[in-house]
Amino acid sequence: MTKPIIEVQNLAKSFGKNAVLKDITEQVDPGQVIVVIGPSGGGKSTFLRCLNLLETPTSGHVAFNGEDLTTLDTKRVNELREEMGMVFQSFNLFPNMTVLENIKLAPMKVKGLSDAQATQRAHELLQQVNLDDHADAFPTSLSGGQAQRVAIARALAMDPKVMLFDEPTSALDPEMVGEVLNVMQELANQGMTMVVVTHEMGFAKSVADRIWFMADGFIQENSTPADFFAHPKTERAQDFLSKILL
Amino acid sequence: MPKKLLISIVFILTLLTGWGGSTHFTTANAATDNSLTKIQKKGTLVMGTSPDYPPYEFQATVHGKTKIVGMDVAVGQKIAKDLGVKLKVKSMSFDSLLVALQTGKVDMVISGMNPTPARKKNVDFTHLYYQGGYSIVINKSDKGIYQDKDSFTGKTLGAQTGSTMYTESKKQTSNTKVKGMTSVSDLILALQNHKIAGVAMEKPSAQAYVANNKQLAMIPSHFNLSADDTVAAVAFKKGSTALVNKVNHSVDQIKNQDLVNKTYLPAAGKYLKTNTVNTSMWHYWKAFLTGVEYTLIITVCATFFGFILGVILSLARMLQGNPLKTAIRWLATAYVEFIRGTPMMVQVMFVYFGLGLIVNLPALTSGIIAIALNSGAYVAEYIRGGINSVDAGQTEAARSLGMSSGATMRYVILPQAIKNIWPSLGNEFITLIKDSSIVSIIGVSELIFQSNIVRSDTYRGVAPIAVIMVLYFIMTFTASRILNHFERKMQHD
Repeated sequence: MTKPIIEVQNLAKSFGKNAVLKDITEQVDPGQVIVVIGPSGGGKSTFLRCLNLLETPTSGHVAFNGEDLTTLDTKRVNELREEMGMVFQSFNLFPNMTVLENIKLAPMKVKGLSDAQATQRAHELLQQVNLDDHADAFPTSLSGGQAQRVAIARALAMDPKVMLFDEPTSALDPEMVGEVLNVMQELANQGMTMVVVTHEMGFAKSVADRIWFMADGFIQENSTPADFFAHPKTERAQDFLSKILL
Repeated sequence: MPKKLLISIVFILTLLTGWGGSTHFTTANAATDNSLTKIQKKGTLVMGTSPDYPPYEFQATVHGKTKIVGMDVAVGQKIAKDLGVKLKVKSMSFDSLLVALQTGKVDMVISGMNPTPARKKNVDFTHLYYQGGYSIVINKSDKGIYQDKDSFTGKTLGAQTGSTMYTESKKQTSNTKVKGMTSVSDLILALQNHKIAGVAMEKPSAQAYVANNKQLAMIPSHFNLSADDTVAAVAFKKGSTALVNKVNHSVDQIKNQDLVNKTYLPAAGKYLKTNTVNTSMWHYWKAFLTGVEYTLIITVCATFFGFILGVILSLARMLQGNPLKTAIRWLATAYVEFIRGTPMMVQVMFVYFGLGLIVNLPALTSGIIAIALNSGAYVAEYIRGGINSVDAGQTEAARSLGMSSGATMRYVILPQAIKNIWPSLGNEFITLIKDSSIVSIIGVSELIFQSNIVRSDTYRGVAPIAVIMVLYFIMTFTASRILNHFERKMQHD
């Protein structure tokens, strides 16, 4: 057995009196693609954001490569965040920078890459997401699908070991969902470890190694896609699937 | 010249600096009176005066250079010569003179100042060097209507605010409204526009105005005045007994030999003539240029430092967490509230005179500091608003890439915040171009100050105002064009 890259232990998170996550213990192995699905408001996004400490857990532990993030100082947390790329539902590209500058910023300011090195790497990544011809465009001139692909390239520019996707296609027009999922599928094929929160069941079925079904602040089921979609064990999952597959 | 120190200024400074410290300071001085040796060691004697009161003191163009001349300057030169030191003349508004003396900005004040009992409490005076009288200046067309102070029943009489004339006009007339203004040039202008019927002022000044303006005439005032009210003496810092005794020799000489009437006043009159030969505004372009130059220096420097201060304050106001951070946030908030809640004019005076007790800052530096401190508070609020206007997702994206909170602020949030608040910042800059005029009260030769000097030099009330109006507009309009250019450059969405 390989050592898990992410370990979550008894993770809980409350906003005021509202307990969003209640006691989650799971782990992600290197190279695994985890797809987290479940009803809205079940805590999926909060869970994902706890993995790179964008949200500070109320209790419990999140370890990356054996290091417990909840006990580290800010500097070390910043360093470990480099290893965990994140893609957001609303892209969050920097609107005042070109596509190329968006990708180059963190490698230059955090990793200390030279302008030339960062530019070269940015072009490689843009080719990978098929957007090299948009290098000098500003984000506002991009379609949603293009913007999200740039966001993926930007996260990849830090050479992360894990990619976290927070509903990457939810804000997209339907015809653009495919281009983003294709990029994600390619990444999975290359062996990238991924944790994906999504409502794209097709993607979950075909790409995921494990499905984590999350509802009411718990991970209710952890199984293979085949098992999950064919034989959901919990009533909560059965109910959820009956609604979305209709 | 019996203009009086504005009690209010002293009062404010007393409140702000704590008179205790200052009194202690002067007492200590008296105990070891080194006032005379100090000046002799320094080799220069700094004289404070308010050069808008010809023929006592005013600005004249001599060989293409603007300098302060007049009978008071001649008195100052004699005193300096007798002490064996060099005279340096520093100009500022009359109201600021005694504060400048108390705070060590100047060594002595000669500005036709009347040694009233109130003033004597705060400074030391020499013997009298001049005894004049009071007159009332009226429009020539009104000659015959008015004979003296008692002719103004139901009319308005003008006098310089805070001056003895102002107090006495109020006291010694009945059914006459007394209108006070800071500068004599303004009073004359009001007179010519028939806003007021007469202006009470010192006889030599009245003579100068009448001699240089054919539409004016003068009548005796017939004010019932004690000898003390019509005299002028030199003021020194309280406790400078040795220095005052020494200077008294010079002053007595001036008085005994009647130097003022025989030599100083005629010489001043000559300067007045050269001044009024050419009163076209072109002739004074250098004065206006200096004004524009200083206005721009003050504005640009104050904007620059104000912006830096604003960034620091806005970040401090967003600190959260441990008690230290909370304390810093609280302090920054208190600072912003305090600065926004007090007039800029008071802040300027406080920096110049108040801080002057600790470090001797030149007027220009003080002005820039005061305006930067003021502007910083406003800019801080703009920036805070700008930072809050940037979507939280921007911070999350930057942090998820491993950027520290500092780097996130610097590279991602602030550039966007500044773009968002650029119009407000531009507005602040343009406001500062105009508001920098406030530093004229501490004698910085910015545009308003310069225009006042041109006005009193040329006896022309409106033309210089029109000139600076146009100059201010050119500056603000150019600035707003430049700012718009950058705003367009930043537009990507």
